[in-house]
Amino acid sequence: MLNIVGQTSISPVVVTNQGILSNPIFIAVTLIIMIPVGLFLGIIYTFLLRKLTARFQWRVGPVVTMYKDLAPLLGRSRIWQPLYDILKLFGKDNMSPSTSRKAIFLASPYLAFLCAFVAIFFIPLPGLQLLSNVSESLVITVYLLILSVMFTILGAASSGSPWSAIGARREVELFLIYEIGLVVSLFSVALIASSITGTETLTIWGIVNSTNLPMLILDPFAAILLFLVMLGKLAIKPFDIAEAEAEIVAGPYTEYSGRSLGLFQLAKVFLLYDLVTLFLAVFIAPLFSLPTGNALWFIAAIPLYVVLAVVMVFLLTVVQVLHPRYKISKGISDYGAMIAVVAILTIAMVVVLNYMGVITVVIG
Amino acid sequence: MVTGIDPSILDWLKKEVVPEGLAFKPLRENRVYIRVKPEDVDKLAERFVKKMGVRFIHSSGVDLGQYGVDVFYVYDFAELKPKLVVVLEARLDKDNLTIPSVGKVTWQAAWPEREVHEFLGVDFKGIPDARHQFLPFEWPNTPETGAPADQSVVTETPNPTPTAAGWHPVGISPKNALASLIPIGPYHPGVIEGQTVYVRLEGEQVVDADIKTGYHHRGIQRLIEKRGYNRGVYAAERVCGICSAHHGLTFVTCAENLYDAEVPERALYIRTLLAELNRIHSHVLWVGVAADIVGWKTGFMLTWGLRERVMDIIEAITGNRVNYGIWRLGGVSRDVPQELASKARPIVAKLKEDLLRLLPPVAANPVFKSRLVGVGPLDKATAFETGAVGPVARASNWKIDTRLTNPPHAIYDQKQISWEVVLNDGCDIYGRVLVRVGELFQSIGIVDQCLDYLSKKTGDIREVPRTIEPGSEAVGLNEAPRGEQFYYMRAGGGELPAYMVPEGKTNVQGSNTLVACRIRTPSYRNNAVLPYMLIGAALADVPIIMGSIDQCLACTDRVEVVNDKDESSYTITWDDLVKMSQKKCRS
Repeated sequence: MLNIVGQTSISPVVVTNQGILSNPIFIAVTLIIMIPVGLFLGIIYTFLLRKLTARFQWRVGPVVTMYKDLAPLLGRSRIWQPLYDILKLFGKDNMSPSTSRKAIFLASPYLAFLCAFVAIFFIPLPGLQLLSNVSESLVITVYLLILSVMFTILGAASSGSPWSAIGARREVELFLIYEIGLVVSLFSVALIASSITGTETLTIWGIVNSTNLPMLILDPFAAILLFLVMLGKLAIKPFDIAEAEAEIVAGPYTEYSGRSLGLFQLAKVFLLYDLVTLFLAVFIAPLFSLPTGNALWFIAAIPLYVVLAVVMVFLLTVVQVLHPRYKISKGISDYGAMIAVVAILTIAMVVVLNYMGVITVVIG
Repeated sequence: MVTGIDPSILDWLKKEVVPEGLAFKPLRENRVYIRVKPEDVDKLAERFVKKMGVRFIHSSGVDLGQYGVDVFYVYDFAELKPKLVVVLEARLDKDNLTIPSVGKVTWQAAWPEREVHEFLGVDFKGIPDARHQFLPFEWPNTPETGAPADQSVVTETPNPTPTAAGWHPVGISPKNALASLIPIGPYHPGVIEGQTVYVRLEGEQVVDADIKTGYHHRGIQRLIEKRGYNRGVYAAERVCGICSAHHGLTFVTCAENLYDAEVPERALYIRTLLAELNRIHSHVLWVGVAADIVGWKTGFMLTWGLRERVMDIIEAITGNRVNYGIWRLGGVSRDVPQELASKARPIVAKLKEDLLRLLPPVAANPVFKSRLVGVGPLDKATAFETGAVGPVARASNWKIDTRLTNPPHAIYDQKQISWEVVLNDGCDIYGRVLVRVGELFQSIGIVDQCLDYLSKKTGDIREVPRTIEPGSEAVGLNEAPRGEQFYYMRAGGGELPAYMVPEGKTNVQGSNTLVACRIRTPSYRNNAVLPYMLIGAALADVPIIMGSIDQCLACTDRVEVVNDKDESSYTITWDDLVKMSQKKCRS
């Protein structure tokens, strides 16, 4: 697939011994720990998205410290509000319309959730390699992220509701645009990493460990591209066209209720965690790679990761509050143009890096 | 304020305009009541609307028991003679309730005629759109009308085609309407109130559209008739929660036109102050709703945050936030003290500053603008033909403002208070945004001038109550935030319907109740225009086009609806609903 020839001016990080990090037992333990940690971080990011949006809009939002007089009744904090909302849905009736294809309609929320959930294991956290060193883990992650949206569309299409049908159609139109961006962004980064290390690097852990320079500096356009993709994938305004509530009720989710809707929301929580962490892992890689014996760095990296993740959520919020929703035709043309231009620039950047002798890429 | 009619205008009407008139009765404020023969109404409508360019206001009917049914048509002659409003009335015999349709002459009369048909069973000959207006499409015709019982729904009537007379019908046949792909409503997050807009789509483009109302019924006209004038004001204010001040103002304007009222100047200023504060909060609210419909929650929250401040000012003045309860016949119930008025002025100035900081950037937001420019087109000719009112008409560059031509009993004279009509030639939703934002700042100017007057002068706020002559009639007009409001009242007494006369008496003089109160809200007109704007739009634009006329459906609907499932065709009655709810609660 890729033959990387020639010398690079950026020397790859030599991973000699990662010690405990690559120990299978340690990885197995971290995978189990990841389930609550992923949920925790996903909920926190969702909470932040809601809270920041509310503050931008002169609203209070879910409160961090509950008012004293209400605390005995409602608990001390509402940071877990997104989780409470989902748990509430799990306690409700799960209905399916008589016109729907029941099996697909009821199975797709589980599958959409599962894809977004499993992806957390393939994306590293600072100090935690997880399954990101599995061969082709980048490809697996991209597939999982794509499939999660695919099952949402499948569920909507099987529901038999005209609103869902229109929502699914819109989602497909957007999906075709942003998934191209996702693939171009991640694989151009993989291309750069491959050329630096001199071997084919298709694992996220490989990208993380390929260089001491953040990819954000090497190919900033790829980062912008991934950010644009996040807007579409997370249905951030102005690209929440598929779920436009004033136009098509709830789009793909119109007929869903109870547990099924809760699973979709949970899938969104994990998708937010996946994308934010993937962005940081790929573009601010040195934060995630841990040179052996540098325990201090490990202690600094986790808070730094949290701070950067909050910055990411903040940026998403800013875009969310500043924009009304696009019309689908305008959204497709504008979003398509944006993605296309940035994707071309991303690839051009790889070519430029190649020309400047920073890396050498030979495809053949 | 109160004038009889100019004799020269009466002569002009008698000789040139309506020579076939049977009786002429001058009403107060340059308004004329003309009785005509039923067979003349369509000819007169043709003459008025097509030749003279007179605006059609409303049509309705009054059931007079043994005397028959009065069907009246109201026309606005303000373009030709100052403040002239003509009420044409034809009396129908109970045995022969037929009258030629005015709807075939001008489209805008079709809605009221459909309503009168449902209300009183009057058969309008040649009405282009005979479907039910407020009743469900499935509702069978009553045997008295002579129409086949199943005609209204079950048989498919072909889509109406444009006629040579220039009337362009809108509407899908009932069967098509029921079979359309996308019913927007009765419950839809884009429009909070209940209505159904049927749109047929090809891809995302709307190829056919129609509106079906009738999901609210409160019987408020009847309620006002039974409650009388003084208590009717409260009911009138509750027609609408947003333009409540304007309903109160129009009600008192109409009721004061039943007798020779002399409202003190200070009361007039207080009325103007409240009406304009109400307009500010209504328009700010609308900008927020429009932002919400295009998916911009931030714009919604920020504008509604400012709206709270307007509501606070209103609360400081009247003690209430929604229904102010200060409207009285002959004045207002509460004074605005001089200190309060002078204290309110800087607050209003600060509000204006904040609105200036918020609204122009909102209107200039590129994505917001891209959703609105060129969407929901309505040119001036269509606006006139279909009877658009208010900001919708003004955004089509049609200078129509009742405050200018037929002011209510408040201060709107441009010699006393400076304001102007805001126009825009955009003919689209963006034009409607600009008109509303412009009007809002005009209103702030009026409010400031009113507060200036109130803080400097003192005076009475209410005149002594007077007696209303039996049998008198009046028309009240006012420019509500959404457009022209129309009230028609006929006082009790005089020629009373038989069922109202106690045994052994022939008449009740000076009865304190009304024989008829008819309300026509601006949304009633603008909703009818809606299908014109929808055809050709994209589905994504449908909610914002619906929002652009600032719909108020509770104002529009009047007739009870019964749930009816078309396939199994059973009717859920009130008792059934009670039983169902009891069953659900027990299990």
